[in-house]
Amino acid sequence: MTKQRNTGYIIGGIFLLLLIYGVVTFNSLVQQEEKVKLQWNEVQNAYQRRLDFIPNVVNIVKGQAGFEQETLVKITEARAKASSVTISSGDLSAEKYNQQIAAQNELATATNRLVVSVEKYPELKGTAAFEGLQTQLEGTERRIKIARKDFNAAIAGYNSSVKSFPTKLVAGIFGFQPKEGFQSDAGAEKVVEIKFN
Amino acid sequence: MGMKKITYTLLLFFTAIGSFAQQGQGFSMEQVIKTAPNPQKLVNDFANILTADQQQALERKLTLFSDSTSNEITVVIVPYLDGMDPADAAIAIGRTWGVGGKKNNNGVVLLISVEDRKLNISPGYGLEKSLPDITCQQIIKNIIVPNFRGKDFYRGIEEGTDAIVQATKGEFKADPNYAKRGRPGGIAKLIFFVLIIIVFLAVSSGGRGGGGSFMSSGGAFLLGSLLGGGGRGGGDYGGGSSSGGFGGFGGGSFGGGGSSGSW
Repeated sequence: MTKQRNTGYIIGGIFLLLLIYGVVTFNSLVQQEEKVKLQWNEVQNAYQRRLDFIPNVVNIVKGQAGFEQETLVKITEARAKASSVTISSGDLSAEKYNQQIAAQNELATATNRLVVSVEKYPELKGTAAFEGLQTQLEGTERRIKIARKDFNAAIAGYNSSVKSFPTKLVAGIFGFQPKEGFQSDAGAEKVVEIKFN
Repeated sequence: MGMKKITYTLLLFFTAIGSFAQQGQGFSMEQVIKTAPNPQKLVNDFANILTADQQQALERKLTLFSDSTSNEITVVIVPYLDGMDPADAAIAIGRTWGVGGKKNNNGVVLLISVEDRKLNISPGYGLEKSLPDITCQQIIKNIIVPNFRGKDFYRGIEEGTDAIVQATKGEFKADPNYAKRGRPGGIAKLIFFVLIIIVFLAVSSGGRGGGGSFMSSGGAFLLGSLLGGGGRGGGDYGGGSSSGGFGGFGGGSFGGGGSSGSW
């Protein structure tokens, strides 16, 4: 009789421990997913910031007599294209993200071309207005770099929890899916930065 | 004769390298970034370019400012950056040291590298509005660099931090508990454990009738520790910061704002 009771206690105890483990793991998964969303918004903000600064660059350079119109047209086009693939903050889609990165890379390439062209006009490059823009664009690029790094780290942390044993079991029960396609395509080597020399 | 001169020059050269290496010993950017010095301070001069008095004056000013606004402005002076970009280094320091409050992310790192002649101002997320990149750039270019070029490090840092104070003072107001934060987690935990022990003792001794004295002595102890906790970290918890010292970084984070310069 007492033996049976003891067995009951042991089974009950194990069940309780499993339940506690499940709750703790569930909470940490929720937190990790929140973190991914938070960092995703940071990436979106940083890219938006770049879009907001480009017209200022164009405006300042436009005033320069004899500046290549083609460079300006290209950068304006690239910006229009990049702003057409902005993603709403809740929408975490790898496909759209990769489209966005591609469009932003084009914009960065066009901007880099403009930066090279500006080298030919020291009188423009030396103005306070252009120097101010340079500072702001450098800050924007740094924010993009950091936001992307943090986002990749958040995704990696979340995915490793969802995919590895034993957290995998809890993730499976509550329907946490791995977020695929972000990391491989978002490798730092493929990303174009706007650079001043 | 010529040979002797060459040998002499070589000897001098190697001695110079030797002493240089010795100077560099114990310093690496990696180490600085990994851990904040203990006890935590707002002025951290790893390159020894400031006198003790100057460090104290700056520390006092920045601690006072942090007590009233909760903004944590830290000055980090290093001999060299080990090849790092000044912005990357400043942000890494800000993040791992946790400069600024956890909720408001209101820290600022002013990083100066003496041999590289480079510097950077990086605000945490919460101070990016009051210290936009362009303002950081202006403080560096118009205030700090002219002083550094004139070899007046102290004045450059003094006036530079004044400008940072001026820019960020309206943003946040310190919580009444901020200045006595010492280690609030530690005190709260201590009180919690004491409470549990008292309850446990009270319950377990309740049947024997001697509970009265247990309860009263426990109650007095609890009251005492609560009162003690009210005054600046309960004495020992401030860690040598008994009168107005800096109570420690709050765990703030950085998102890439700021600007760099050189002199």
